[in-house]
Amino acid sequence: MRSSRAFPSERSAEHPAAGRASLARHRALFANFFHRELFSRYLGSITGLAWAFVHPLALLAVYHFVFTTIFRAGPMDGKSFLLFVAVALWPWLAAQEALQRGTVSIASYAGLIRKVAFRHELVVYASVAATLTLQFAGYLVVLVVLALFGEPVHFEGLLLAVPLWLVLAIGVTGLALALAALQVFVKDIEHILMPVLMILMYLTPILYPLSLVPDSMKPWVAANPFGYLVGRLRDALLDGRLGLMWGDALAVVVALALFTAGRWVFLRLSPHFEDFV
Amino acid sequence: MSALLHLSGVGKDYAKLDDNAGRLRLVFDLLRGRGASQVFHALDEVSFDLAAGESLGIIGENGAGKSTLLKIVAGVITPTRGVVESRGRVGALLELGSGFHPEYSGIANISLAAALLGLSRTEIAAKRDEIIAFADIGEHIHDPIKHYSSGMVVRLGFAVATALTPDILITDEVLAVGDESFQKKCVAWMEGYLAGGGTLLLCSHSMYHIQKLCRAALWLKDGRVERYGAAAEVTQAYLAYHEEKSAGAKQPIATPRAAAAGVYAIQSLRLDPPATLPCGGALTIAGEVFSPDGRAPVVLLGLIRADGTPVYGVATDMDGVLPTRIGANRFTFSLTFPRLPLLPGKYLVRAHALDPEGVRLFDNVEMPLVIEGATREMGLVRIDHGWTGQVADSDDDSTDGADPS
Repeated sequence: MRSSRAFPSERSAEHPAAGRASLARHRALFANFFHRELFSRYLGSITGLAWAFVHPLALLAVYHFVFTTIFRAGPMDGKSFLLFVAVALWPWLAAQEALQRGTVSIASYAGLIRKVAFRHELVVYASVAATLTLQFAGYLVVLVVLALFGEPVHFEGLLLAVPLWLVLAIGVTGLALALAALQVFVKDIEHILMPVLMILMYLTPILYPLSLVPDSMKPWVAANPFGYLVGRLRDALLDGRLGLMWGDALAVVVALALFTAGRWVFLRLSPHFEDFV
Repeated sequence: MSALLHLSGVGKDYAKLDDNAGRLRLVFDLLRGRGASQVFHALDEVSFDLAAGESLGIIGENGAGKSTLLKIVAGVITPTRGVVESRGRVGALLELGSGFHPEYSGIANISLAAALLGLSRTEIAAKRDEIIAFADIGEHIHDPIKHYSSGMVVRLGFAVATALTPDILITDEVLAVGDESFQKKCVAWMEGYLAGGGTLLLCSHSMYHIQKLCRAALWLKDGRVERYGAAAEVTQAYLAYHEEKSAGAKQPIATPRAAAAGVYAIQSLRLDPPATLPCGGALTIAGEVFSPDGRAPVVLLGLIRADGTPVYGVATDMDGVLPTRIGANRFTFSLTFPRLPLLPGKYLVRAHALDPEGVRLFDNVEMPLVIEGATREMGLVRIDHGWTGQVADSDDDSTDGADPS
């Protein structure tokens, strides 16, 4: 050992708080990724974040034109058709976009994954959280606009709708974790996902109520956990019914199970990302 | 001495995949908690300890596993086998600037990179000015990274990585990029860091930097530790290996052989001391030479560096000497270099038998010679020299070779 070098035994003594430090680090990193996801998506465009709100309103106008003006759809389950669809369609679009972006999120961080040690799951969390945040904001805008046009929106229903969105977020995050991890190894996932989600959308009571489904198929359609959430959102926002049901507890359990399973898959595969991204 | 970093039996396998079905099978294997069935050993049985305040250089050819090893220490990849224990904050500088987002300004990228290095938001804010000052890229700090020159990206990356003052700094060819003045800045920073008790794990193809910055070196070859020890010794062995390799297989080391009928031939060749010699030590080359007609042949002895570069050659007739007769057709020769000034490395001693006229060359016999010593002097031989100036008070290990201990 060179004599000019101080023996630095005191340096290593400053790390018993490593666990707390690493939590702070994960938070800082998540915040950075979240910010990056939120803004990089619109950074290059002129309208920037405003586009996030223009988009749902434009879609709503198109749905209004197609369903109310062309198809002349009457009230559904005794509710305005436009409101009936909007309340359910947005969560679906949000989940769909979150899954799609989450699935490919790892690839866009390939440079980091190959060079820097960090929790890879933070990438998926940030991607899903950014998408759902934007979509939820869009959802609120849509509800407000619908109310302005005279639709009977029960805003007190948000007291239930917000927790329902959180349950949705937990389940979607779990699915996105598993899909993102698989996508690293099997690049077909993102291509299979689009048509599968399209089919699932029509199999979920979004554009129609569960009551119109023939009795023989009803148990199958009702078993769709997303369909259950949609029904509960309609209860809350269309009828203003806020009472909790046993099914809600089941929905939470299902969401947590999805999250746990998805995270298990992710953590099994993530140590090998570096070689495949 | 407390080990800040401890590796024992570390190995890393990469899955060998030929088709998409293989990828699916790999996913199932991984999910079931098993390794891949077909693997390539990128790294195997690597063990070393790095105490606080020490510095280790990793050397080896491309594909030897150096980057894999650094990534394992940095925590970027998990080893397949073995144990990695590290205490303290590890700062990795693997390919500068790779963590930057091209659309973002330098400022925004400082935040991202610092968050990746483990700084919290408040710490980042506190370090920002220091980073900007070290990077020294002026107003460009507010421009998107994609408009930066590569040199500016490197400056910013180094500034970010070093602002943290990690307990262990891992760097990968940092010194190979950037202009001359930036390299000097990097080396100066690292010397200060080491002097302040920092621990360095440096991977470089520059033996100069390894010898300057590291006390110990580890030579990786095909994923295994070929040699591990003092930096001077390992880098010399590594350089010698390369010299031999570039000399190629076209000159296999010839061994003394029985004289073919009717030609002048070297019958035996021996070195004293055999095979290895300290730098500046005495070497005697001796042997026996055969003469078909009983006349005293000319013996030519030469020293060649392992890559084939001739260093010195001298023949008996040049100095007006005849080999000593010990029989009707047999002669002996002996040549002594009292203070052989060859610098450490691998060399060959070559002996030729010529006809008594010293015109026709008949035989070619070679013996390997290793010169040992700890010195950072460059070139082939030590040339007598003297500086004018004051003696530096640092006890840097560029000592003269007269004391190789």
